Amino acid sequence: MFKQPPREVVREHMKLILPDRTIRVADPVPATVETILQREGINPLEVMVSRDGKLIPEDTLVSGDDELRIIRISHGG
Amino acid sequence: MNPVPVQQDPPACSVCGEPAVIHQRHAGRYLCGTDLVADLEQRVAGTIASQQQVVPGDCVAVALSGGKDSTALLVMLHRLFGSRDDIRLVAVTVDEGITGYREETVRSAADLVRKLGVEHITVSFGELFGDSLDTFLKGRKAQACTICGILRKKALVAGAKRAGATKLATGHNLDDEAQSVLMNVLRGDLLRLVRDSGRESSGRFIPRIKPLTYVQEKEIATYLMVQGIWEDLPECPYAIHALRREVRSMLSGIEYRHPGTMLRLLENKKIIETAFSGKAGGEAVGRCRECGDPCSGETCQLCQLLHSLGR
Ligand SMILES: [Zn+2]
Ligand SMILES: [Zn+2]
Repeated sequence: MFKQPPREVVREHMKLILPDRTIRVADPVPATVETILQREGINPLEVMVSRDGKLIPEDTLVSGDDELRIIRISHGG
Repeated sequence: MNPVPVQQDPPACSVCGEPAVIHQRHAGRYLCGTDLVADLEQRVAGTIASQQQVVPGDCVAVALSGGKDSTALLVMLHRLFGSRDDIRLVAVTVDEGITGYREETVRSAADLVRKLGVEHITVSFGELFGDSLDTFLKGRKAQACTICGILRKKALVAGAKRAGATKLATGHNLDDEAQSVLMNVLRGDLLRLVRDSGRESSGRFIPRIKPLTYVQEKEIATYLMVQGIWEDLPECPYAIHALRREVRSMLSGIEYRHPGTMLRLLENKKIIETAFSGKAGGEAVGRCRECGDPCSGETCQLCQLLHSLGR
């Protein structure tokens, strides 16, 4: 699904840590968190997203070096 | 030191201009961590005050599963009332006996009460009903949430009575409440909303209060996260069998695209409550022939269930 990028531009690809802790390299375009979540079929209301350990709203623009962690909000109280 | 990568700032907090952590779509604004915490605590205090959910002299039993909602509820109630001499808080944890799930949340509950210095009572299905939920559910997993719901309600009340409570607070949030409205519609049993509301308490029930009714699940999770008290806990293994799971996913999709949907769904509950106020869903409340608990038929749901489980 993803073309293996040449080594020197690897850092330009965004790292996506999914709720099940698998790591995905996302397309290297500037995009909003919302767009990225939608590509993964995730509703922004059901997760929190942090960049470098800080929570960000879903309409934040992310790109390049960013490392995003998606934290699922499980049901149960 | 590595050069700092160029990073786009998140939208600014609508209150203070700092980087926001959440987009409150229903309110059309962004909030930073500090202002989200303040906003939630203010809204919850407002719900409590406007419905007189807690009054001087109350002993409030707080249902504490150890999950996110009840954790946030206890933290908030402790901040609001922890230093008051005329209001007592007691956390009540029900251990249903769900292997691979409850151990972690029970530990999380114990950690929290220790940190806050709140009294804590734990009641288990084993001591109350003679066996764990896992055992009761052998061969009937599809009914898990119904069976567990009936038993847990009873267990919570038992814990609250043991605490000498005058109120029983649960962590139901806006998502939960909106889901319940929709689920009752889907089941063709909308009037259950009135029967379950516990508002019609005539001194025989411990009144139930739900201070988080107007707070979204994501707001609660974010509230905990920005304060460093979020724990990634497992989801109940039986939840996959529940209609609620499907309703939850559908409803949060609609809420995202049409903010305010959940609040509007809750309006239906108010309409029905108003229409049926004092009528208790058209059914007179009597007492169970077997256990004496308040119920609408001859035998209460719990006694019927215990019979069907062979108890
Ligand atoms: Zn702010
Ligand atoms: Zn009974």
